[in-house]
Amino acid sequence: MRSVKQSETPSATTKQNHEPLPTRAQSVNPTEQLIRRKFQEYYLSLAKELFLPPHPEQREYGFLLFKEKFMVRHRAFRDPSILLGAIRDLVPAHVYFSTAYYQEPTAAMEAKGWKGADLVFDIDADHLDTPCKSSHDSWKCKGCGTVGRGGAPKLCPKCKNDRMEEQTWLCDQCLRQAKEETNKLLEILYSDLGVQPSDLRIFFSGHRGYHVHVYSTQLQVMGEEERREIASYVIGQELDPQLHELDEVNLEGIKVIEGPQLGQPGWRGRMAAGIYDILGEEGERLGLSPAQVKTIKTQDRDEFFKRPFWSSVKGFGLSTWKTLSLKAVDRRSAKIDTVVTTDVHRLIRLPGTLNGHTGLMTMQVSRERLDEFDPFRDSLAFHGEMRVRVKDSPRFQLAERQFGPYSNEEVELPSYAAMLLLCKRRAEPVS
Amino acid sequence: MLTRADLAKYPFLSEASEYVRELGLSIDELSTPEFGPVLDRAEKRLEEALSKGRVSGDITNENAEILSFPFALAEAKRAYELLRQENPEKLEHIASTTFAWKVKRLDIKLGRRFYDFGLSLPDFLHNAVHLREPRWNLPNRVLDHGFVYVTRDEAARLMEEEVRTKILERSSRTPDEVPKLFGSRVERTRGLVVKWLGVPTKYELPKVPQPEAMPPCVRHLIDSLDEGKNVQHMGRFTLASFLLNIGAGEEDVVKLFKPATDFSERMTRYQVEHIGGKDPRSLLQTR
Repeated sequence: MRSVKQSETPSATTKQNHEPLPTRAQSVNPTEQLIRRKFQEYYLSLAKELFLPPHPEQREYGFLLFKEKFMVRHRAFRDPSILLGAIRDLVPAHVYFSTAYYQEPTAAMEAKGWKGADLVFDIDADHLDTPCKSSHDSWKCKGCGTVGRGGAPKLCPKCKNDRMEEQTWLCDQCLRQAKEETNKLLEILYSDLGVQPSDLRIFFSGHRGYHVHVYSTQLQVMGEEERREIASYVIGQELDPQLHELDEVNLEGIKVIEGPQLGQPGWRGRMAAGIYDILGEEGERLGLSPAQVKTIKTQDRDEFFKRPFWSSVKGFGLSTWKTLSLKAVDRRSAKIDTVVTTDVHRLIRLPGTLNGHTGLMTMQVSRERLDEFDPFRDSLAFHGEMRVRVKDSPRFQLAERQFGPYSNEEVELPSYAAMLLLCKRRAEPVS
Repeated sequence: MLTRADLAKYPFLSEASEYVRELGLSIDELSTPEFGPVLDRAEKRLEEALSKGRVSGDITNENAEILSFPFALAEAKRAYELLRQENPEKLEHIASTTFAWKVKRLDIKLGRRFYDFGLSLPDFLHNAVHLREPRWNLPNRVLDHGFVYVTRDEAARLMEEEVRTKILERSSRTPDEVPKLFGSRVERTRGLVVKWLGVPTKYELPKVPQPEAMPPCVRHLIDSLDEGKNVQHMGRFTLASFLLNIGAGEEDVVKLFKPATDFSERMTRYQVEHIGGKDPRSLLQTR
């Protein structure tokens, strides 16, 4: 059955044969049909060339079609204009390219001839524990139908099934947190891994997070095990403060605690800085006297660390410092999806294309502009107005305008807002 | 920088291969009487490796591979013991010339440790991923602008890994045909292998899955299904992909799921085919 389907795979995207496709929209549902039409308009109106990563001809490209969520992959393009042509013909819901470089990108997986892969990081609100999730995300157990708010649990609390249907929303708070994590990641990449800013690109995913790509000839040949170590480093996984020389030592008969110092490279300096922040913010809750907390807060951080501070806090033993060190690591680590970084055959979203989950653009964000970048203002792709029937929608903000909440109503909206609701299946076309 | 004594100590050095190449020896010359002591030494080294290396279990491979593993381990250990006593200059030289490491000299004391070298991240990871102690895990290292701080002893330990892989790589290139003149030595070597490792036996892997040979987690999954217990999606996925990978037929795999309370033949068949790779969507690796 499936192999027949594969032979139906449109040839428009192959290197050899570039023909326009007959329209495939007839069989899809009306919402998808409308989204696809709007996506097509967008791609046809694109005046500039798509962003292409280094060595675009050695990459594999993949397209997830609207129709039955069918995946067309193992495609290759020598030229960005041919790629754009293929996207205009196919009008996929999602466009991907491989982080890997191959000798034969169009060959079957095992015959591609892997040459290397960019080092990539994915920061997604799905992996962040933001407090707002309970207000905008919900789940439904596919086994017994139990529903709940917030991120889906691993197992259904009622029937212990692990198959969940999730309904997520993208919110400002989640995306701010994702940006915060991205900033922490960048700091680690620059100062610890020594990544050159010119080798690094930051992208908004068009949904709930950011992607960071590192193009370094030195790092691209690393295998999965090496990448797993890098992912562990970024999240500070199983970091042992004692291996960073936090320890109790005997100095001429007196037991003193020694540990990492501010300004030391890597996790050591980061741990020390993190501890200073924690003591200032939560010192009293941790058992410090108000006077001690005041001393920490009023004292310059560098001054504070000039003293042998690991032994200076009364009542804090080695185990307390260890706990605090791990807490500092948790605060300073970047919450990446480690699976993405480890995978050397990953397909990842192509910048400049639309995200079928939202109708927002996947786009590059420069390091300088990251802080002011507002995904709800800067990644909008659609113009004009559209009339849609909204089933239900929380309140949301786009282009600095407030929308919703809506419930079973027909509304005239700017196209970018209507498209978000359509893509999220919160709205339907008006017949 | 390196003396002839160094070349003798570290036969894996680029300079050592170069030295031997410059001698212009042919393999036939090696069998003349004056090279007797050289070959004796080689045999002795092999016997040392075999007698000290701990290798047990079934032997399924050809002689060259059986030999190379304990040999590589023993040679690498020996290199480590010698390297750790060298001065940093010599270590740096060997690291950058023979192993092409990107390494820089440091003279940094952090806490109670002296770090002599900064080793480039890829070179560090390439070797450290084989080492299981927590101190080799990257989060437990000092990483500064792309360089991992290592002590002299740690540098020697990472070089041990390089030596081991280098010997293994070289021995996989052993020619099939051994010159006749070495006949008696080869026979003696075989004798050594048999003495220390036993007679190499060959066996064929069974063509159909053997339940008794399955790992306990897989057996547990099968038992749970048999007992009509609910097995989670990930468990079912694990079971199906394991069985398909060891060569079970799709029909047999589908049958296994029959005792499940929520068994649907159509759904199961679809999933099993999907895992078996019939559906191109199964290759989708992104969200």
